[in-house]
Parts: sequence; C-alpha cells; structure tokens
Amino acid sequence: MACNGVKAFVEEAEILENRMLAEDYYIMRVKSPKTAEVALAGQFSMLKPKNEIRILRRPISIHSVDKEKGEMEYYYEVLGGGTKDFAILKIGETINIQGPLGVGFDLNIENKNVVAIGGGLGIAPLKELLNQLKDKNKVVHIAGGRSAKHLGILSSFDESIETLIATDDGSLGKKGNTVDILKEYLKENKVDIIYTCGPHIMMEAVARVAKEHGIRCQVSLEERMACGVKACMGCSIPTTKGMQKVCYDGPVFEANEVIDVE
Amino acid sequence: MKNPLMTGSGTFGWGTEYSDYFDPNDLGALVLKGLTLEARPGNPGTRLAETPAGMLNSIGLENPGVEVFEKETVEILRSELSGTHSIANINGKTVEEYVELAKRIDAIPEITAIELNISCPNVKDGGMAFGANPEVAGRVTREVRAVTKKPLIVKLSPNVTNVVEIAKIVEENGADALALINTLLGMAIDIKRKKPVLGNVFGGFSGPAIKPVALRIVYQVRKATNLPILGMGGISCTEDVIEFMMAGANTVALGTGFFMNPNLATEIIEGLNKYCEENGLENISEIVNAVHR
Repeated sequence: MACNGVKAFVEEAEILENRMLAEDYYIMRVKSPKTAEVALAGQFSMLKPKNEIRILRRPISIHSVDKEKGEMEYYYEVLGGGTKDFAILKIGETINIQGPLGVGFDLNIENKNVVAIGGGLGIAPLKELLNQLKDKNKVVHIAGGRSAKHLGILSSFDESIETLIATDDGSLGKKGNTVDILKEYLKENKVDIIYTCGPHIMMEAVARVAKEHGIRCQVSLEERMACGVKACMGCSIPTTKGMQKVCYDGPVFEANEVIDVE
Repeated sequence: MKNPLMTGSGTFGWGTEYSDYFDPNDLGALVLKGLTLEARPGNPGTRLAETPAGMLNSIGLENPGVEVFEKETVEILRSELSGTHSIANINGKTVEEYVELAKRIDAIPEITAIELNISCPNVKDGGMAFGANPEVAGRVTREVRAVTKKPLIVKLSPNVTNVVEIAKIVEENGADALALINTLLGMAIDIKRKKPVLGNVFGGFSGPAIKPVALRIVYQVRKATNLPILGMGGISCTEDVIEFMMAGANTVALGTGFFMNPNLATEIIEGLNKYCEENGLENISEIVNAVHR
C-alpha cells in the first residue's frame, strides 16, 4: 500500500465517458467503486493500454473522485501509443486500472489561504484537491496553458472557485504564465500554502517564489514508471532524504525536498 | 518450495511491495533486489523505456547496501515473509566484493539461498563483465562457493557468444543451480533530442519479446547439464511457464510480468493447478524436460 496507508487494487473499470476537450486533451469518467472509495487527491492510477504490444501501464493523475457514485475522472493528453489506446475507448468498454497509488496532497488544511497552480496537463490533479479544500479554506486556482483551446479542462472545475488564468498567446486570461500571476497575487494577498503541478520548469519557478516568500509549497512530480509500487526502482529521484520513489513516496513532495536538489 | 514460481531480482523489491495484490508467501521463493556491499543510489537520468512487447531498464543496482539489509530488511523477511523462501542476489565490482558479500549473507539464517549475479548489464564495473568471461565466471563462483554452504544459484547473461560454456564452467566450480536468463542488452533513442533515452545509454531488455531467446538458452543449457535451472525471460501467462519447464526449467521466475499484471502470480498458480488436473498430473514438476525426452 502507499506509505500513507491507502490500499491499492487492480480494477476493471467501465468507461462512462471519454471525450476530447480540445487538442488531444481528453477527459475520461469511469465506474471504479473500489478505487473511488479510497482514492485521495494527488494520487494516481496505472492505466493499462489495451494493445498488448504496449506492456507498461501509464501513470495518470486522478482528476476527481465521486465516492457516492463510485466514479472517477482522469484528464489525459494523447502523447503516444498508450494514451492513443485510451482515446479510442468507447462508453461501455472497460479499462484495467491499478491504484490508487502514491502519496497525494496534504489535505489536513483548514482555515488557510490556499493557492493551487497548474500548468497544462498539471491542472489535472487540482480538481479533486480544490474540491476537498474549498469548503474549509480560501482557495484560488491559477491555471496556465498554451491557449484558450488548451484550457478546455477548466469547464470541469467548480465555477464558484476563484480562477486566475494565463495563456501563452493571451487568448484567455492574461498573456503570460502562471508564475507571473502568482507573483502579482502575492503582492496583494496572504497565502499559507501553494500546491503546484505542471512542467518541471514551472514547478521549479513556483517553488522558488514560494521559498522567497516563506510559503510552504507542495509539488506533484512525474517520472517514467513500470511497477508503480516501489518494487522496480525505475522512478527514483534524489531528494533531501536520499533516493525516493515518485510512485510511492510521491508523486506529491514538499518542494524544498525535491526542487534544486542534486 | 510450494510451487515453482519465483521472482526475477530487481522486479520484486524487497519482497513485500506487491502485498496489496497478493500474498508474497504464496510464491515458492522470492529472489530479492540485487545487493552490493555499499549503498548505491542507482543510475541518474531516465531508467525506463518501453519497447514493442518489452521494456528496457537501467536501474543501476540501487540498494541500501548490506549493512542496512542486515539491520532492517532481514527483520521484514522474518516478520512478513516466513511462509516462503527469500533468496539474496549479490553483486560486486571485484571478486573480493562478491566474496565479502557472500560471507555476510551466509550468516543470515532468514536467507535460504544466494543468487550470484554475474550478469547485470547496468553497472559500469562488475556484473556482466564477470559473466561474459568463462575464466572469471569460474573464479568468482569458486571463491563464493568456498565461503557459503547455502545453495548457490548462478545467474547467467544471454549477452555472450556461448552460454553453455559459461554454464559448464560455473557448474564445475560449485554452482548448485543456474538462473537463465538475465536481461538482454539494448537501447532506445529519443529522435527529438537526438540522444539515447536511458541515462546509462544501454539497459536490460525484458518482457514478452525476449521469451524466445530465454527459452532457447534454457533448452541449450539443459542439454549440457543436469543442474536445476531457474528459467525466466518474458513469462506473462501459465502457458509460458509450461514452455519453460518443458524446455528444462525446474522453477521459473516472473518479473516484468508483474508490471503488466499485478495478479499474475495468483492467475498462474490457478492455471498450473488446472493444467495438472486436465492432464492427469500429480505435480507440475512432471513436465520438466518434457521436450528433451
């Protein structure tokens, strides 16, 4: 089980929805009651490509969890063979999922000023995070992408959550990037914790801003994986605590343990 | 051993990582991740790549070193894995290191046997270099043999011209069993970056794609020796296990197959039971060497 005590399963999940939001970004909703019952924001599943020539499962962030209905959502980008296999799955077909895996975001947060910053595909795990924190905290979502088309995922989020947007081409929100928005936001607002997920270079920049302001920051990393359970050591990264596994000790880490570490 | 199923070193961590999916004590024996005397962080950069019906790994023997193994891992073997056998896989950069490590492992009662890894393709010194040279392979086997009474399994590399020659030499020098095969040596290239995918450039190639090579080597070695053979390489279903046993393997190891299907061991145990029933066998071991008779 993950080092946070959450047990994992292999579950054959029925596809309830699988549609392209824009530009190769898809949202998939599945019926997976066993996994949904225990899954936590920031954890991920290992999804098995149907084509047997692709033997490795793909680690995909959990986008949202509905414990009552026993459903989960994944938001993914078609990048290669495995994700292409996912995109052609139809409603009623099944996908084999292993999980939930890893250590998710710290949800033991109450009465705090929270910022969740996502870039591109990194926006995926923030939906469940924000859903879990919004009732007891002041939450702000900063989302960045290449263009308006690339941010179709925002329609999946709770409308009532304050959302600040940046696009490279300015077609939605501000022209610029999420780090610019964060810096602006911090001029006027007190923030107690920053969660971030996205391109590594973005998370590094966010982590540095957080450090400069003395704000706690959690990052969600990704790494190629084979087993997903700390058995193969394929996803090891150097941290201040020695070599750790993104699949088991992560994917969420304290930024100061993994950013700018040799 | 309760059944012929074992694990491929490096695919099954320290024995308990797959416990959410099945009880590791259900396996006949566990071969643990490779150990070295000193702690190793493993290779930097990308360690994994998928290939058609296979994968490459270049982990680089990341392990906490024998001292931590003695102090911490052995406690877990004792408390959680007493229902099966645990086998230590040992690695060294020099013959002296192999011997020193073998002595330390020999003193651990929780370890049933030692697997001598002279075929790891992912470390700069040692590993495969030992297994490719018949004289060196013989010497390291002999010197490790001299310091341990535990059953000694020698794991051979397929990346040599003549595996049978190496097999015979390690047998002559005291091997009790042979593990065939370690991974094939391969690579992948990222055409966008124009660089190798793996940080270590080369890596070990495993998975269903290599099964024909592994089977061929088990078959060839069986023709040349009566030593017990632990066969592995691309096993992903019950039928694969049966092929390996018919080719000459007394036991088999699952490795990459676990990544594909965490429930693989459970399915194969059921599958072998069913095969025995359907074929009027009292024990699956009756099919060992079937293709050679």
